[in-house]
Amino acid sequence: MPDPGSYILARAMGRDILLEASQLLEVLPAVPVRPLPGPVPGISGVILHQGEFLPVLDWAGLPGTPGQVVWATALAVLKRRLALPLESLDGVLDSVGESSGFSVADGDPWEEIVACICPVGEARFPLLDADKLVAWLHHQRARH
Amino acid sequence: MDSSFDDVWAECEDLFGQARQTLATLKEPQPAHVIQASVNALFRATHTLKGMAGMLGFPVFSKAAHRMEDIFDLMRKGRLRSTDSLVETLGAGIEALESGLAGLKRGRPEPDDYLEGVRRELGELEALARPADGAEQDLSAMLDLPEEARKALSDYERGRVTRALLDGIPVHGLAICLDFATFDERLRAFTDGLGRQAELISTLPWEVPEGREGLAFLLVVAGAALEVDSLAPVPGEVLAVRMLADPGRIPGSLRAEVQAEAAPAPPPEPPPAPPPSEPVPAPSSQESEVLRLPAQRVEALEARLMDVAQLRDAASGMLRQGDARTGEAPLAVLGQMEEGLLDVQKALLQMRMVKVETLFARVEPMVKSLSRELGKPVKLALQGGDLEIERGILGRLVEPFLHLVRNALDHGLESPEARKSLGKGETGSLRISASQRGRSIRFDIRDDGRGFDLAKIEARGRAMGLLKPGVPTTPERLHRLTLEPGFSTMERASQVSGRGVGMDIVREAVEALGGELMLSSEWKRGSLVRLAIPLSRAVVGCLRVRSGRQTFGIPLSHVLRVHMGHESLRGGSHVKILGQDLPFESLQVCLGQEDPPEGHRAYVLLSQPSTVAGASLEIALGVDEILGRGEILLRSLPELAQVQGVMGGSLQEDGILWVLDPEAMLGLAMDSLMRRVAHA
Repeated sequence: MPDPGSYILARAMGRDILLEASQLLEVLPAVPVRPLPGPVPGISGVILHQGEFLPVLDWAGLPGTPGQVVWATALAVLKRRLALPLESLDGVLDSVGESSGFSVADGDPWEEIVACICPVGEARFPLLDADKLVAWLHHQRARH
Repeated sequence: MDSSFDDVWAECEDLFGQARQTLATLKEPQPAHVIQASVNALFRATHTLKGMAGMLGFPVFSKAAHRMEDIFDLMRKGRLRSTDSLVETLGAGIEALESGLAGLKRGRPEPDDYLEGVRRELGELEALARPADGAEQDLSAMLDLPEEARKALSDYERGRVTRALLDGIPVHGLAICLDFATFDERLRAFTDGLGRQAELISTLPWEVPEGREGLAFLLVVAGAALEVDSLAPVPGEVLAVRMLADPGRIPGSLRAEVQAEAAPAPPPEPPPAPPPSEPVPAPSSQESEVLRLPAQRVEALEARLMDVAQLRDAASGMLRQGDARTGEAPLAVLGQMEEGLLDVQKALLQMRMVKVETLFARVEPMVKSLSRELGKPVKLALQGGDLEIERGILGRLVEPFLHLVRNALDHGLESPEARKSLGKGETGSLRISASQRGRSIRFDIRDDGRGFDLAKIEARGRAMGLLKPGVPTTPERLHRLTLEPGFSTMERASQVSGRGVGMDIVREAVEALGGELMLSSEWKRGSLVRLAIPLSRAVVGCLRVRSGRQTFGIPLSHVLRVHMGHESLRGGSHVKILGQDLPFESLQVCLGQEDPPEGHRAYVLLSQPSTVAGASLEIALGVDEILGRGEILLRSLPELAQVQGVMGGSLQEDGILWVLDPEAMLGLAMDSLMRRVAHA
């Protein structure tokens, strides 16, 4: 069940997703991402954020994600120190419906990074789980 | 006053300064995320003050800070309803604590209650808090009574107080002092008399007025008004009536809400439509950090900056004049300016560095004091105090670190009796070490106590819905559960380390530093809490090189020599230097990129000094261009972005200069050369 609190409805890699506002540090306008000198799984590069390097997620590195990356308009900075490029920001929701009964579809490549599917009015959106996403990236690093 | 605690006093004063500022922010209308961040900051500040007061040996202050911390905890959990006087009350509470601290610093004894002046208001705040899930509203904290007296009320009596207040009936207290010989008969007469006028809720023992003898009671009654005369006191009996709780101070919204909860539930409303698009708020993550520095360091920095300013003026003059006679002079001046600015950066960095022993200096007295307080003898071992860490990082680490140490003593180590029964020595062991691991400082807090009760954690995790039913879990996952907000297996909060509410704050603080918190334990054998904190900045002398389209810095400490020739060399070949045949590998290949077909005409001879006499590893690293040398301000890469062989980067005019980790680079070069041999 999703926690009470605000949620951000956004679009990434052509999918609508929900982000828990409490897991975010801030949302920035997109800035150029500086590539790293070597390959890092799931990370496209870094930006300088508050005087420190901040890794930027490479959505295309996620399993089953289509290759084309649409131009990001914003970067959501997670408290777990990871920036997520977003194609659009579509609103802020004060709450979302209970997720019971709406599980992630079998075979959904994002199953490993989604907390649950949340109904909002007639629509249903996957709620991204920042902890799972970071854990997945760490796992990829370990395998790399 | 013990001067070894000067830093602690100073930090307490800083915390009060920050709390005042934060409260000032809350006095103005603010967006929800700013309010939340402010409340979190106040919660952390009072939490730290609680711990510091305990360390300084002021238990009453610690208790008062704990009470304020609880109020902020209620706010951050969204359980405290905002009233007009909320911020004023909190401000008065913080002010009372601050003034109390100033008194303590001047050597005054501790008062009975630092928060006496706002007792009634704080009680109201606690009473008006939304009850925890499954609990009923309890307004008994609104009673203007000492805490001990309120605690003496039974659940039923609390319920009656709550009901009366919700029904708009005031609660009064009638204090009476009766003669020893006839008190039982007279007490019955009073209770009967009061019972005819109002609802008698409780009879509490009370303090005998000064100069009197006898037995004193406080009769707690709910009624519109009390007619004391009709109770017919006999001569010599002292009666005093005062209002203990005014129902007028309960917000109408709460009364309506509680009544609505009691009424049958209305039919569910259709789900609300999604709101229209709106800009996303960007919560501020900036928290003020206070640095205390010797004045002469600041003066030296100021002087160096003045030098740079003069150089800028000179360069500006030369450029304005466009004087051909100046030749290369402006460029030379720019070079001096760059040097000056780097000096400033270094000085600033040095100001920010502090030895880990500063942290240990906090730990030692706290452990001694807690050991006495808890009756748990403990042998403390500290290691790695010489390492340096940024002052800002240390400042943000102190509170979570001390919390972890308190936890280890309070919840980890068993009592001497329990240890004896387990065949352990009566004295517990607490080993705290700091060590540098690559780009991180690692802190280990080890105790030989009871370890984590994973069965209990699993049961609690399932009860809280944090673990899916029927899905097996792992010890790692169970340990991490204890870091979830609100997770605790403790029935009651402890004055020492709380109920576990701090562990999520600890995790948050460590992760905000880009660090990691790892827990492990063995049941009845002990626990290990490990914090890995990345070192974020350093000034490093580097050789600047270009490889492909990127520039790199190689720490000079590992550079033996450089070579730029006409002959092109490819990875896997050898170079002859001073009669030695040394292996050659391309930097690009070491970093996982394509082997450049044109090879390299330049190389850097890297050396790894060995601890074994006479033995060292040397490799020629192929690059495309040698750009020069200089000092750069290195920023480390967060773990998720770490690239093998790269220590971090430095922002330069033309992009990021990546600084190589020479030892890792030697390893990567050797791996690559061995792969070449294997594939040959």
